[in-house]
Amino acid sequence: MYRRSGRGRLLLLIFIALSIVIITLDFRQGQGGPLARAKDISVAVVAPIQKGLTTIFRPVGNFFASIGELGRLRGENQRLKAELDSIEQEIAEAEALQDEIVTLTDLHDLDEPWIAMDDVTAQVIGYSPSNYRWARFIDKGRADGIRTDMAVVNAQGLVGKVISVTEHTSEILLLIDPRAAAGARIEERRDTGQVQGNGESEGLSLELIDSISDVFEGDLVITSGYDQGIFPPGIPIGEIEEIAGDVRRPDQQIVVDPFVDFTALDYVKVLLDTGPNRQDRAEDR
Amino acid sequence: MVKEPKPSSVLGDLGVPRVSAIAAVIVLAAAIQSTVLSYATILGVIPQVVLVVVMCLAFTDGEKVGLVCGFFAGLLQDLQLPEGSVVGLYALVYTLVGFAVGQLREFTPAESVWTPVFTVAAATAVVEASYATLAIILGQEWVGITFTVKVIGLVVLYNTLLTPLVFPLVRKVADRFRPERVYRW
Repeated sequence: MYRRSGRGRLLLLIFIALSIVIITLDFRQGQGGPLARAKDISVAVVAPIQKGLTTIFRPVGNFFASIGELGRLRGENQRLKAELDSIEQEIAEAEALQDEIVTLTDLHDLDEPWIAMDDVTAQVIGYSPSNYRWARFIDKGRADGIRTDMAVVNAQGLVGKVISVTEHTSEILLLIDPRAAAGARIEERRDTGQVQGNGESEGLSLELIDSISDVFEGDLVITSGYDQGIFPPGIPIGEIEEIAGDVRRPDQQIVVDPFVDFTALDYVKVLLDTGPNRQDRAEDR
Repeated sequence: MVKEPKPSSVLGDLGVPRVSAIAAVIVLAAAIQSTVLSYATILGVIPQVVLVVVMCLAFTDGEKVGLVCGFFAGLLQDLQLPEGSVVGLYALVYTLVGFAVGQLREFTPAESVWTPVFTVAAATAVVEASYATLAIILGQEWVGITFTVKVIGLVVLYNTLLTPLVFPLVRKVADRFRPERVYRW
């Protein structure tokens, strides 16, 4: 009995030592160390199961959510059909405008606007398993042209950026993660600064470079495009929800309510002309 | 000539099928935690079902299996986190909890389903609090302290609720692949 527990203790010491070695390796490794390879392998093992579970359980979740609403759905269906006609017309107009913007930006050698960029639509297949980090795994990867540092958006606005890529999956860091940040400015006022994530239940915090600027609740916050080429300018981020403290003092707290509903991300778009591709082009010029 | 007793492997008397079955359970738990349980949250908090599985394994198989499973399950969870998290920290904490729960088992009535439930509740609180503390000490960017306390409370609640479902399943797998000579009841 005594020897048995003694062996248990030896084994414990061995595995504690191993954990500490891994933590040390993690602190010392740069890009592409042995742990990066281990990460790729672990993601490759888990991703197919995640994808399967998502395919099975997402529709079930939606089914249960909508089962009590069948009656209302018929009326809504009619209303939506009517709306669709007018929206189709608006889309045609918007596309014409977009073509015009692209022609004009080419003509004046400006940066390509983000709405005109090539993109890849990907499905969210998995979450970061921690309650303190906000990231998602998506089902497109290197084979689809995705690279690290590309910007990720959805219909509402800025979602985040790509932080790691395998052949057929990528991981995106959401803007609400405490390590995420984006160059931002207030639309119409040109005040620039940076938004930073504070976790899921909190708004983003906005720090302006020039703290004497007049900002108001409800002001629209968009990307500034000044952060080493990750986020192109003009992507909607959110609107100012609350301004605490004196705006004229450096400790002012500006809270931005993001447009994107980070709890319900199903599909996202990766902008392929951002990240490394955008930097390449800037060097060409 | 005296026949030497066969030295037991690191995982005790485990065969290849048993090790694979346990590994499959851990990988499946990790996949479930990052998909189904990530949309079925309690107030936005994801349960740590991988941790529950580790503790159940420690409960059915003792401290050696507990700590080795804890290490690999923790490492798998570490590797699923985005960059900027301390890789190896879940491995360390889960190793310790696997060992501790395995040792605790000797002092508790084995057949009651309540024992693992209470153990999971208490151990989850300790694990979550130590992980947060160590991550902050090691310099990881962290969210607010009130948020952290809320998360720990809800993870304890959710993990505790999951234990009566997870424990019988884990025990079934653990017993199913147990070598024949071990006493079954």
